Amino acid sequence: MNKLMKKSLIMTILIATTFALYENFALMPEYQGLDVGISDYIINSGLQDTGSLNLITAVLYDYRAFDSLGESTVIFGAVSGIVLILSRKMLPVSSKGLSFIVKRSLGIMTPFIALFGFYVITHGHLTPGGGFQGGVILAAISIIFSIVYGSAFDYRRYSPQTKTALETGGALTFLGLGLAGIVMEGAFLHNLGFLTAETGTLISAGSIPYVNLGVGFKVGAGLAIIFYSMIQKTFEEDF
Amino acid sequence: MFNNLIFIILFMLGFYALIMKTNLIKNVIGLNLMEAAVFFWVISFSDIGGEVSIYKLGEEITKFNDPVPQALTLTGIVIGASTAALLLTLIIELNKFTGTIDRDELEGLND
Repeated sequence: MNKLMKKSLIMTILIATTFALYENFALMPEYQGLDVGISDYIINSGLQDTGSLNLITAVLYDYRAFDSLGESTVIFGAVSGIVLILSRKMLPVSSKGLSFIVKRSLGIMTPFIALFGFYVITHGHLTPGGGFQGGVILAAISIIFSIVYGSAFDYRRYSPQTKTALETGGALTFLGLGLAGIVMEGAFLHNLGFLTAETGTLISAGSIPYVNLGVGFKVGAGLAIIFYSMIQKTFEEDF
Repeated sequence: MFNNLIFIILFMLGFYALIMKTNLIKNVIGLNLMEAAVFFWVISFSDIGGEVSIYKLGEEITKFNDPVPQALTLTGIVIGASTAALLLTLIIELNKFTGTIDRDELEGLND
């Protein structure tokens, strides 16, 4: 079978799949709305159950907290696999970074980026955001550092041991809050009732802010570790 | 029914990149496009014209969008990022050992 025949066969399959998908959507019924099922329950009683203004955070860290634990375990597994694959030589080597002006400007901007990351993490139950999103912002700081200052800077300031400790600490915070749920409320990852305060304040919504904090550090450190493992040994050492 | 059409276009673009391109990085991009199409579709059908499902203090909101698909999509995005990172790592390592990331060239390497 030559290449042209192969390509035309694949194109036929693609067009047939497109047509099948289109027909499938034509058969599909309209969206039934929120009058039935779990969505209706969460919208009507999510605020009373969890004290979290952000219903999406309520779903993620209270109703489906066990699923979020599995999700962060997936990140942990990905980080472990990447570090295992790329870890034959752990020397961080990289470029020298960008010019003086960029370095000074970033020095002024960095605290504000960090502040925004922490804001997104800690206000996950009040405004849009949460642990995963804020963690990605914190990981972006590490990535910008290694682009602007050269990767050895970030390596010296915040060593891989620090990042590993942060990641493990975040995961252990999550697990510890889950075990506290068993001891105090009788179910794994149950929202801790004694931490609830007036709705809308920063320290409210039971254990959700603390879970957010743990997940944020875990995701931020994990993504930074992934980035670091990938850029290792891609540049020549010039120090 | 624009969301269905855009879903089909995005999904088939990703599928095309996955099976027709021989560059492995383009295959990963295709996989991510397919994921993005599914996430887009799930979010778009949960939008019923209401507010984002976040209460605001001192405001009475009567109609919310569905919060459950958004939470599910957040989970999916994180899993997608993890798998993409792992795949790219494997491609980096493959390039170190064989010097190529082309699928057709890799097929000829086993002898």
